[in-house]
Amino acid sequence: MHEAFFFGPDNQRILANYHPAAGGGGQVLTVICPPLFSDYIRTQLALRELAISLAERGQHVLRFDYGGTGDSFGEIGEVAVSDWLEDIALAVREGREISGSSVVRLLGVRAGALLACRSVGASSAVQRLVLWDPVPDGAGYLEELRRTQVALFKRNLYLSRAERREAMHEYAGYALSERMLEDLRLVDASAYSRVPKGMLHVVSTSSAAGFPVQGVPQDVAPFVCNWDTLANANEVFVPRPVLERLIACLTRS
Amino acid sequence: MSDPVLTEEPLQFGEGGRLFGILTLPSVPFHRPPELPVFVFFNAGLLHRVGPNRLYVHLARDLSRMGFGSLRVDLAGRGDSPSRPGLANQLSVAADYKEILRVLESRLAPGPLVLGGLCSGADNAIRLTPKDSRVVGLLLFDPVCSPDNGFGTRAFVLRYTNTARYIAWLKRRFVAPSTEPREDKEEVDPLGIRDIPTQEQLRTAFESIREREGRVLSVFTQYALPYYNQAGQLGRVLGVDGYQQFCTELFWPNAEHTYTLDLHRRRLMEVVRTWAGGFIRSRTGTND
Repeated sequence: MHEAFFFGPDNQRILANYHPAAGGGGQVLTVICPPLFSDYIRTQLALRELAISLAERGQHVLRFDYGGTGDSFGEIGEVAVSDWLEDIALAVREGREISGSSVVRLLGVRAGALLACRSVGASSAVQRLVLWDPVPDGAGYLEELRRTQVALFKRNLYLSRAERREAMHEYAGYALSERMLEDLRLVDASAYSRVPKGMLHVVSTSSAAGFPVQGVPQDVAPFVCNWDTLANANEVFVPRPVLERLIACLTRS
Repeated sequence: MSDPVLTEEPLQFGEGGRLFGILTLPSVPFHRPPELPVFVFFNAGLLHRVGPNRLYVHLARDLSRMGFGSLRVDLAGRGDSPSRPGLANQLSVAADYKEILRVLESRLAPGPLVLGGLCSGADNAIRLTPKDSRVVGLLLFDPVCSPDNGFGTRAFVLRYTNTARYIAWLKRRFVAPSTEPREDKEEVDPLGIRDIPTQEQLRTAFESIREREGRVLSVFTQYALPYYNQAGQLGRVLGVDGYQQFCTELFWPNAEHTYTLDLHRRRLMEVVRTWAGGFIRSRTGTND
């Protein structure tokens, strides 16, 4: 059972899916900060399953879409990182209000991990951050999106020269604003290092994945996610071993 | 960032509120020409209701600005709607459709509908159309089609006259090998993994729309190349009387199945807007 609604100011309507804790009680609220672009499409079902599992274990869960993504209002070309940080703060506030919880945990997925850590100063209620395959920093993430765009050109033999020229400015098929590009380039690994290490826990799907901050507990739940390739860009996956690790990290006291 | 000319409402409906969808309506309904159809978007494969690269969200909002309402829905087992245990796909979709009609009637006056979707969304729209006389339009992105007589020859010509293919081969041959892992493409029959409607069901759907004086828009992308390679092929294969009068058929071999590039999504929006405008013109009696 879950409840869906729009929240936020009139000029910034955000879609939320709220999963109340089973059994009525529940002191802990987990807010899920989703990934972006094709990562968002691929993980939607997995994050819903995760939310249901956490609610069954007695936690309140709030899923939401950043402005300009998913069902929320706005266009991707109109928003910037600062808007998304505000969305996270609003989601935490809304989740606390609806659930009555005083303890908040954030789950950040991929670029959502970077945003979650950047936002953490905004709410002193956040007690723990669990990060699933966090991107290293904004600039690196943009490079990854550009590489995806180049791969898109390579695999599309029928694209005309005019189309290639027109799509040259896209990032993995999305037209981002200058403000967004500047913002993302400025979000460096200090977003992670500023968060007290004791609050962080990383779950990686590959043992090769590093994390910019030393001394942060890191679990490996092997699963082939292929985040940086186009091969499965529009395929939905539900990586059970990863979800199990995330649940363990988010529910331990 | 919200839109003053439209409203959106999340709906949980059906038995126990198990189905989920977003209803988009123009916020100034008195501007709507009478009896404009409401669009229903079905999931593309397992992707949730926003559609690939948010395609359905953009379509719903663009159409709303023209005066059309729409529902983008998660069928059972997709997105935020749990599956119906024990029901095969087509039975499950049929059961979902009954609930969709019920919720639409409870929120809006009964009226005409346009069913649409990409890939399996198109398949579902095709199968449901003959059974529901309210359906007056179909919006089909990469629907099913059979090869016609000239298909094989055209496929050969397309394959071996594409200069980009030779350039790509030369690059692979002479440029230093890339360190990036190569995406090995297997030749996969795209229809083999879909629960596709039969040719008869497809023809019946088109005939139903013609009888109801409705309209169909079909757009084929490079995904369809193993079975479709020329604009007009669907019309020839179906042989439905008066096809050209009520059907628009487009072939975009440069676009990907899920409209990965923003420029192709924008182009598709424009085409859909123009096509949907036909419903307004036919109801207001204007030609432009």
